[in-house]
Amino acid sequence: MNRALTVARKELVETFRDRRTMLMTLATAALAGPIFLALIFNMIAGQGERARTLALPVDGAERAPALIAFLEREGVRILPMPADAVERIRAGDLDVAMVVDPAFAQQVDEGRTAKVRLIFDRSRDRARASIDQAESLLRAFARQWGGQRLLVRGIAPSVASPLEVVVEDLATPQQAGAIVLFLVAYYGLFATLMGGMPLALDATAGERERQSLEPLLATPATAAEIVAGKWLAVAAFAGLVVAVTLAGFWLTLSFVPLPAVGIPFLFGAREFGRFLVILLPMIALMPAALLYLASRARTIKEAQTNLSLLLFVVSMIPVAQIFLQRREPDWLVAVPVSGQYLLLNRALRGEALPFADLLLSAIVPTALVALALWATARRFSNEALLASR
Amino acid sequence: MIAVEEIVKTFGRRGEVRAVDGVSFTAPPGEITGLLGPNGAGKTTLLRVLATLVVPDSGRATLGGRDVVANRAEVRRRLGVLSDARGLYPRLTGRENIEYYAALHGLAPAVRERRIEALIGELGLAGVADRRAMGYSQGEKMKVAIARALVHEPDTILLDEPTNGLDVMSVRALRDTLRRLRAEGRTLLFSSHVMQEVAALCDRIVILGRGKVVASGTAAELIAQSGRATLEDAFVALLGSGEGLAA
Repeated sequence: MNRALTVARKELVETFRDRRTMLMTLATAALAGPIFLALIFNMIAGQGERARTLALPVDGAERAPALIAFLEREGVRILPMPADAVERIRAGDLDVAMVVDPAFAQQVDEGRTAKVRLIFDRSRDRARASIDQAESLLRAFARQWGGQRLLVRGIAPSVASPLEVVVEDLATPQQAGAIVLFLVAYYGLFATLMGGMPLALDATAGERERQSLEPLLATPATAAEIVAGKWLAVAAFAGLVVAVTLAGFWLTLSFVPLPAVGIPFLFGAREFGRFLVILLPMIALMPAALLYLASRARTIKEAQTNLSLLLFVVSMIPVAQIFLQRREPDWLVAVPVSGQYLLLNRALRGEALPFADLLLSAIVPTALVALALWATARRFSNEALLASR
Repeated sequence: MIAVEEIVKTFGRRGEVRAVDGVSFTAPPGEITGLLGPNGAGKTTLLRVLATLVVPDSGRATLGGRDVVANRAEVRRRLGVLSDARGLYPRLTGRENIEYYAALHGLAPAVRERRIEALIGELGLAGVADRRAMGYSQGEKMKVAIARALVHEPDTILLDEPTNGLDVMSVRALRDTLRRLRAEGRTLLFSSHVMQEVAALCDRIVILGRGKVVASGTAAELIAQSGRATLEDAFVALLGSGEGLAA
């Protein structure tokens, strides 16, 4: 055990001496949160801004003065219709435009249903707020107008609306902003892998490349002690990188005026702590997996190739989970990466985190850590390791 | 004391490469034994067997009476190895490189410091010991590698081609250290493919060729055995050719 600690200490000293790698790793980790959140908030704020002062180009405004007056009362800016409105909507420069049917006045006079056309591209996320606002204003106007017509004929408007829909949105304040949730969880998870990478490569393939492994193996330190020490060092560093990454999100979210952009979103000290607890199994597992994969390589370059598959899998799992339409099955908690991602999302939504679930999410990773370390130690005590250089 | 009895080590799926093929010899304490042979004679593999890094297919080897397979941990504690691979940690200083090995050998901090200081003085590393190993010359790297192999004062010392790539001054410093260790009664086994190196330093010589011991004894015995006038001619006569050897 003492020897393992000696190895761990030496690996950490070496890592912290490598200024450039250190700064790059920690700076990237710390800045990930602020940069991504800034981009997202900018986008969300833009949406809110557009919706608040809806500018609506209208063709044939003169044919529907009552409708135009209603819209202007609701704060909509009515603009003349540009000639290339359709192209501009396609290009995303214009959110929505309205065309009043040429026969509008005649249809109104005859008491028939009058037509207006709304033109938009619903696939544009940024335009969605404007589209929704235009639609709901038009519906409100139609309802109001219909009610007036009924009253004129001596009928209560309630006769024509037998059903009243009362909306009760169960989304708690924290449930808004799904994209922010995803990013915070994704980055936290990814940091467990990226954080340990440089050190894991240096401690295994690097040790072989520099020809320092053979003399090390001839000391009284056993392969198991050496591997345990290296794992402790990589896991400690990965933990640091995870903490720095999450602290970046924490600080950003506590300084950016969130309610102003419409997401009453919570990532405070409590979430920071919960995140670290949830990620603990990954902070143990990723370094072990990195060490095993890198120990199979003769050089750092070869090791990087070995690691690309692990990187791919870990980065794809959360993305795949987003596309999962159904509710996650219960057993998913036990699957490494998936389980952590699921729990992180729960923590962000402010849901309860049962201890049983945390325990369940740690079982498979713990077993895999033991397996990976055992396999790495076996690899280190393999004679072929010395022969093939 | 190193005792090697009929060690065999093969490589390849069907054991078709017989790297060490029934080698026996003894290296007594207080002497430097030279393992001379051309490249590919099996010197490095044999040293790895003695360093407990490679398990022999058959045969037995003991260091100070302890079996290299059965008492691996005991052997390692009393063994110093300067292997063919002698990389340092470039971001640690020379002193820290030595300290790491001292700690792995379980030396108390006070003992560690005293011994490291003594080795730094003896090997002439005082000027560079607190600089990072990254910028060391070949000679400085080798000296640190020697110091880290000796820091726990091992009874038995294995050196694989220690003079490879060294300048004359470094070779002389190394020879002085090895003579000091011999005077202290330690067992030294020194492998080389350089004849002059072995002739200049070793008390006894074991000549290896294709995994087998071709001849062994003191320089005088080898000359007598071969019936030649010089040691160089004796080597060539005993090995059948001088190929792979350097003068």
